[in-house]
Amino acid sequence: MSHLRGFQLGLGIAVAVVILLVPFLFPEIGIHLAVEVLIYALFAVSFNVLLGYCGMLPFGHAAFFGVGGYTVALILRNFPGTPLLLTFLMAALLALVIGASIGFFCVRLSGAYFSLISIASQMFLFAVALKWRSLTSGDDGMTFTRPELHLPILGGISMRSVVNIYYFTLIVVAVAILACYLFLKTPLGNSLVCIREKENRASFLGYNVFLTKLAAFLASSILGGLAGGLFSFFQAFVGPSFIDINMSMVVVVMTVIGGKRHFLGPVLGAAFYVVFQDWMSSLTNYWMIVLGITFIVIVLYAEGGLISLFENERVRLWVSRLKK
Amino acid sequence: MSFPFEIYVIQATHGVVYGMLLFLVASGLTLVFGMMGVLNLAHASFYMLGAYFAYSVTLYSGNFWLSLLMSPLIVGTLGILVERFLLRKTYKIGHTAQLLLTFGIFFVFGEFVRIIWGTIPLSISVPTLFAGDIPFMGRTYPIYRFFILGFSLLLLVGVALMLMRTRIGIIIRAAVSDAEMVAALGTNVPIVFLGVFGGGAALAAIAGVIAAPFLSIYLGMGGDALLDCFVVIVVGGFGSLPGALIASLMIGELQSFGILWIPRLALVFQFLLMAIVLIIKPTGLFGEKE
Repeated sequence: MSHLRGFQLGLGIAVAVVILLVPFLFPEIGIHLAVEVLIYALFAVSFNVLLGYCGMLPFGHAAFFGVGGYTVALILRNFPGTPLLLTFLMAALLALVIGASIGFFCVRLSGAYFSLISIASQMFLFAVALKWRSLTSGDDGMTFTRPELHLPILGGISMRSVVNIYYFTLIVVAVAILACYLFLKTPLGNSLVCIREKENRASFLGYNVFLTKLAAFLASSILGGLAGGLFSFFQAFVGPSFIDINMSMVVVVMTVIGGKRHFLGPVLGAAFYVVFQDWMSSLTNYWMIVLGITFIVIVLYAEGGLISLFENERVRLWVSRLKK
Repeated sequence: MSFPFEIYVIQATHGVVYGMLLFLVASGLTLVFGMMGVLNLAHASFYMLGAYFAYSVTLYSGNFWLSLLMSPLIVGTLGILVERFLLRKTYKIGHTAQLLLTFGIFFVFGEFVRIIWGTIPLSISVPTLFAGDIPFMGRTYPIYRFFILGFSLLLLVGVALMLMRTRIGIIIRAAVSDAEMVAALGTNVPIVFLGVFGGGAALAAIAGVIAAPFLSIYLGMGGDALLDCFVVIVVGGFGSLPGALIASLMIGELQSFGILWIPRLALVFQFLLMAIVLIIKPTGLFGEKE
């Protein structure tokens, strides 16, 4: 095994151990942040299916986050007996339905047009969430109580403690991200990259560009909805902030800063964003402008984002320097 | 629901006033898109900065008219700097990078404003020359809104004359239709584009200044204007000025009457309109290019 593989494997194992032991290593506030990181990581990965793999820039991706969030909140508020996993399944399913109805119209549009219709649909859903007061309580949002998680052998698990929420979120997010990774490794996933690079050529080769892009859009919607559902479950609250333009902007920032060219870039971006926000906002009032400037610099000069710091070439350089 | 006739007229006038403001912002956006294919998300920041600079200039000099001169100058220069030193780097990288970059600039300007002017909404008073109301259709109507209407019409005519009757206007229109060909014919397109970008920013700033006494100055004003502008350029057609004018007036009226009739759905209508236009005729009402 080369030093390079060894380094990367070691890093991976260390990160995995830290992730598994978060509740024992950090105080309660740290666990809260870790749950946020996990959820945003899933959200950003779902976003990057479109930005990184398809080259489409959906500026209104919070639409699905909000749909998932509101679905979970509405089910748990109005039908408290619903099994938890079924609730999340419903959130993903509704995100899929909404994604299908938006995607059917917008994936055939290219460039700025796609981004615009994405924003339009998000603003439309935002307006619905804000104004349909009888269903969504509008501005005030909705609170609910988290039910127990019932598993076949283990029985009921309380979702009151943040540690249990952490492990529950970790498992759901890990499964979802793994599923997304496997999806992108399929021939269908590869054809996305092919279409991103040269759409005409892909269609001459016989790929159905529309259906392929639609499949990616749907996968992205499902995962985005799931992330939103987890977030509303974690907060035991849902409100218009789940589906507003800020939420859409946050995911763009996380993904680009983390690096859109690598599958794990958005995960790193989400971790960076949450930690940076927590750390800097206590130090200075200007953290957002620092973040914005970082974002601009990355767009202009370092397309690979933060994850490119761990790329093979650079790591090889570090390792060889260490050896000397 | 029925209202007395004069309410309709007054509401329609509101709509035209807002539509004209929107057109001042959207016109720069649509020209820039037409020439370089850049959807400049930062454009609405110029509108917002225009209003905030107007606040500061009016505060220190006590003269609104000075701010109407200064603010577009400052913002226009800022626009030129943004194009020359940031946006120009992205033409080679591609459209996604352009969208991301202008988004980042929008974000940074928003924060910049928050840091300098704070989060509390500000207001400046209507210049004394146009303060007060005049009788209109049996009710009273603020004179200042008629000033906005007149002034923006004047600008509209000015811009139209510039585009239709001058040499530089011909070059701009030609570049909107086919920038490569214009460059091949020996025109320095990047310089022209720089000028259009700066001019568009200055127009947006003018809209911000004259809107400031009538709408309040607040942090979200850029984002709100941006969303309205998107609707305008999509409905009117990317790159089309007449389209932008008609769509601005449509959106103005839609908002004005939407608030009158079904206030709960006023926000929904324009996005529905935008989605429908994108689905049925993606090039917009007057657009030609895909």
